[in-house]
Amino acid sequence: MRRADDRTFATLLMAPAAVFLGVFVAWPLVRLVIDSFYRISPIAGGPRSFVGLDNYLRALRSSTFTSAAVRTVAYTGLVVSAEFVLGLAAALLFSMLGARSTVFRTVFLYPLMIAPVVAGLLWRFLLIDNFGIVNELLSRAGILSGADAIGWLSNPDIVLLSVAIPDIWLTTSFMTLVIFAGLQNIAADVLEAARIDGAPPASMLLRIILPLLRPVIAVALIVRGIDAAKAFDIILIQTKGGPENASQTLSLLIYQTMIRFSDPGLASAMATMYLVVMLLVATVAVWFIWRPGTAQR
Amino acid sequence: MNSLFVRRPGTRALVWALLTSLLVLYGFPFVYLLLTSFKTPLDTIAVPPTVLPHRWTTANYTSALHRGGVVASFVNSLTTATLSTVLSLLIAVPAAYGITRFRTFSGRVFIMGALVARMVPPVAVGIPLLSMIRALGLIDTPTGVAIAHTTVSLPLSIWLMASFFEAVPDELDEAAVVDGCGRLEALWHVVLPVVAGGLAVTAIFAFLASWNEFLFALLLTAVRAQTTPIVIANFQTQFGLDWGAMTALATMYSVPVILLTLILQRHIVAGLTLGAVKG
Repeated sequence: MRRADDRTFATLLMAPAAVFLGVFVAWPLVRLVIDSFYRISPIAGGPRSFVGLDNYLRALRSSTFTSAAVRTVAYTGLVVSAEFVLGLAAALLFSMLGARSTVFRTVFLYPLMIAPVVAGLLWRFLLIDNFGIVNELLSRAGILSGADAIGWLSNPDIVLLSVAIPDIWLTTSFMTLVIFAGLQNIAADVLEAARIDGAPPASMLLRIILPLLRPVIAVALIVRGIDAAKAFDIILIQTKGGPENASQTLSLLIYQTMIRFSDPGLASAMATMYLVVMLLVATVAVWFIWRPGTAQR
Repeated sequence: MNSLFVRRPGTRALVWALLTSLLVLYGFPFVYLLLTSFKTPLDTIAVPPTVLPHRWTTANYTSALHRGGVVASFVNSLTTATLSTVLSLLIAVPAAYGITRFRTFSGRVFIMGALVARMVPPVAVGIPLLSMIRALGLIDTPTGVAIAHTTVSLPLSIWLMASFFEAVPDELDEAAVVDGCGRLEALWHVVLPVVAGGLAVTAIFAFLASWNEFLFALLLTAVRAQTTPIVIANFQTQFGLDWGAMTALATMYSVPVILLTLILQRHIVAGLTLGAVKG
């Protein structure tokens, strides 16, 4: 049992953070939920009228909202699985080189520090139809029939894939670093024993390495999944959600409903649903897989 | 060294080759950005594009820096990120210390709360925050943007600092208190010097979170307090597609943080993998 003044002291230490998060995170979210029940004039201080669940019904009935939700899930799945496969491959290669991989790992780190806006613009520049270097190099290598054979950001069928590329490029390093660190913690004799038993590499990976890395992989997937589902600037800067809304995810739709279509009530209802689903999914994932605080002691 | 390490020369050569080609692919986009920024403005959008500049020039840099608001935006980015980092650390350090040292029920609730705060989509906070910041009279000021950025960096800072404090044995500050130190003095003079490295890592992450942030800066600024990411984004609408100047400005904005990363590589890796691997 802790002494009472200890508890008071601990509370005092936590108070500023609690106040800050309460005022600038929790309270805005309460306001968001309240606003979602009103039709609000976009002019500051303008009239507002209570409309009950009307904003929610309007959102759920519009295919714009439901397809943006589907796109957000697809985008998140795409980004996270690509990062996982590439990150795992790179981490395994690094481990095979042992200490000699330091230089490689350093170089691999750099995109993590680049602003998503810069990454998005950079890739838009690389993938642009007429003077983009990617199509030019691909067609010179004989993979594409001509430099304008693929419209990465102008073809609605593939644009969601194209806007995901900078996100994958930006944060595969995170996945690699986390998995690499996890690999270093696997006891050498476990792998050695499997190797002596003559286990083929594929079954070593599937039967031994991946199960042992499960907690590390779970955390990495959760952290990246949450971030990818929130992606905003990286997509906005490439396509503004287009063409034909084909890359419009929930963050973009909510922002555009607020700013371009000046409908704060509808934007709040959409954001509330988005927030609730995010919190539910993430809390369930964290609670069942990660259990922070319990494993540490 | 773990036993994935391969010794057979043939396999090693193959791994080297694979990794080298992977890194060339991975490094190419930024190298191309750098090279493009030194092309002449016309060569930047030449069809077909070339990898190397025909003629090396700093014309893109001169034109980017002469744009109205560009230099000011650097000052704004620096001011905002510094303010947000200081605010974040001032609040996060005592909170993380309180959470890890006294292990009260409220502390456990709090660290989960900090985690939940990380899951909140910025666009959900951003819309109501806009009217709050406006009501506080902080719209279009670095302070207003810094407060918004701290909603992102504070949960992360609490989480990181809590992990660093975990690594310091309780006996250290208990001994200091027995020796007649006040509780706050024990934190300040005894524990903080021990976690100085962790403090630096946390500061870097808080700084980067603000330096690279876009949505809040977009919502909360108009002209005066615009940070560089907003200015970079505006290059395409306001002035048509000025790719040359964009590549120069993007380079200037990214190179300092990339250099910082390379210098502090070891610490940054520790910060990124902490929690994930420990937890």
